[in-house]
Amino acid sequence: MTDVQVIEESATNAVTANVVENEKEAPAKSSAENNKPPNYKRISDDDLYRHSSQYRMWSYTREQLEEKRVDTNSRAVASIEEDLLKFRQAHNLIEEEVKILEAKAIPLTMEEELSLVNFYAKKVQVIAQHLNLPTEVVATSISFFRRFYLENSVMHIDPKSIVHTTIFLACKSENYFISVDSFAQKAKSTRESIIKYEFKLLESLKFSLLNHHPYKPLHGFFLDIQNVLYGKVDLNYMGQIYDRCKKRITGALLTDVVYLYTPPQITLATLLIEDEALVTRYLEMKFPSKEKIQEQEPELEPETEKKEAQNDESKIEKDDDQGIENDKPSIDSAKLLAVIMECKELIEETAPLSTEDAKRIAAKNYYCQNPSSLIQKLKRKMNEDTSAAEKRQKI
Amino acid sequence: MEYTKEKKVGEGTYAVVYLGSQHSTGRKIAVKEIKTSEFKDGLDMSAIREVKYLQEMQHPNVIELVDIFMAYDNLNLVLEFLPTDLEVVIKDKSILFTPADIKAWMLMTLRGVYHCHRNFILHRDLKPNNLLFSPDGQIKVADFGLARAIPAPHEILTSNVVTRWYRAPELLFGAKHYTSAIDIWSVGVIFAELMLRIPYLPGQNDVDQMEVTFRALGTPTDRAWPEVSSFTSYNKLQIYPPPSRDELRKRFIAASEYALDFMCGMLTMNPQKRWNAIECLESDYFKELPPPSDPSTIKIRS
Repeated sequence: MTDVQVIEESATNAVTANVVENEKEAPAKSSAENNKPPNYKRISDDDLYRHSSQYRMWSYTREQLEEKRVDTNSRAVASIEEDLLKFRQAHNLIEEEVKILEAKAIPLTMEEELSLVNFYAKKVQVIAQHLNLPTEVVATSISFFRRFYLENSVMHIDPKSIVHTTIFLACKSENYFISVDSFAQKAKSTRESIIKYEFKLLESLKFSLLNHHPYKPLHGFFLDIQNVLYGKVDLNYMGQIYDRCKKRITGALLTDVVYLYTPPQITLATLLIEDEALVTRYLEMKFPSKEKIQEQEPELEPETEKKEAQNDESKIEKDDDQGIENDKPSIDSAKLLAVIMECKELIEETAPLSTEDAKRIAAKNYYCQNPSSLIQKLKRKMNEDTSAAEKRQKI
Repeated sequence: MEYTKEKKVGEGTYAVVYLGSQHSTGRKIAVKEIKTSEFKDGLDMSAIREVKYLQEMQHPNVIELVDIFMAYDNLNLVLEFLPTDLEVVIKDKSILFTPADIKAWMLMTLRGVYHCHRNFILHRDLKPNNLLFSPDGQIKVADFGLARAIPAPHEILTSNVVTRWYRAPELLFGAKHYTSAIDIWSVGVIFAELMLRIPYLPGQNDVDQMEVTFRALGTPTDRAWPEVSSFTSYNKLQIYPPPSRDELRKRFIAASEYALDFMCGMLTMNPQKRWNAIECLESDYFKELPPPSDPSTIKIRS
């Protein structure tokens, strides 16, 4: 066995082919070029991302995402309706009571659930920021919370009871340890209520804890834009863009783009919101069309591969066709721009729920889980009415 | 029940390990049961790290996380069955191994470590005891209880990581910032240990570890490692000269010149100049004769 073949050999072993890919191997390359194993393939950053649990378990198409929510919701609705029916059978209800149950104890729709989850996800953000946690911990808290409610219904586990648990687990997962007692003190909660659902949370997260957030790509683009558009962008201006995008990214984590797009795509979308002209110019310079490549042959760094569309399987095939020598990322800037435009629109169209609407949905959620409280409330009201009527009669 | 626990094989601070099998396939597995009830802060950090990082890695030279399940309020990690480890093999003097065997083990170890690093994961506890063997002789990097993400430049880290003998000089100095270079240092020490068959830098305590390390490899100077003298513990150090090539040749009798280059690359004091995993994998050591042994043919059971 000779040369780099030694290193490449184990590529036969697994999907995650174990190939040293790099640009510096020039001297050995020429001799090894011809005796590469038949399944030799360079591992790109895209390949690595595709192996991440975030991609494997928490990335969907729009249809899959919808289906998942419909499924979680309909399972909860079925069990709530069964409970309500049992309740009605167990209690001898009068007509008014049946009426009020039918009017108020109604399971939530999928849309209502989603609105409520997002409302509380925002609360998670506010609380985590209030606790002065680092940006990544805040982001992971939001992500854990929202993922939990892809698997569970708010009709089964009250969002309020999981808010602190997600932040606490996010702290530990991001290596930002706070003891449960001091966390409870700061968050004005109790140890028991924080720990209670921790296992359930971990299980619902499918034991997938590593989050790739768009902040690292933001730093990458921040540097690369200055590099690609050298002399054409103002440093102070870029600093402002960076700070504003960081906030926008945290906002984007409260939307469905996290399930539909890759972190660098989300970053580009937030950059697009800030300065569309800048991003367009950057992408055109970075990924010039075929004719332009022939004119100037720009040097593309391997890290650019990260930024291409996640579901774009055609890209890999194209790479294979071109062979190993010509493995520059073939990214079509127009196509990429279209993808991040879609992403941008989704970020912008996600409207936050008003507190009033949240209260209304939360009340509905409460009554469908606690029909007896509704009946008691009705009884109290009727008693008050009768006693008021009696008073009036006396007068 | 999909998994059986047949035999208790080990007990650590936060887990009990059982041997067992997977019902549906008959495959042998190990179950690491995390003791949860004993932790007042809920799930233990080591368990969280282990779950978090093993989920991300699928590689022939990284231990495979087969499954995770909850039972009786305990967290159970189902891992591939790995019958022995490199520490056992090194200590068992009835096992003989050749330079080609060592080369095969280093290659597999570095592939596993490289896979961690390219996934932006620091292992932070590489040692022979954490390099396990599969039944077919593959090395598997295991125990991610101390692992963490490769930090951003400004992040402050704890230097209290890695088992003492395998601790890189920057950690001995108490550096608050370090990189994946700490893992490479550990691999370098393991390589030396494989050639010597005794621990290479066996410090008795943290202070002695510096003494032992610098006596063997020379005290770093500002010239080779700018500003190393600004570490507070530097002043008290005895200054040893780095070993000459001849001294190294005498200490590592069987090592080729390329093997020594390879070792010195990994045991470079200055973390910025230390070889990274790619440089190690591409070193001439792996390209010269003898070729690495076929892992499945190396005898690792006495």
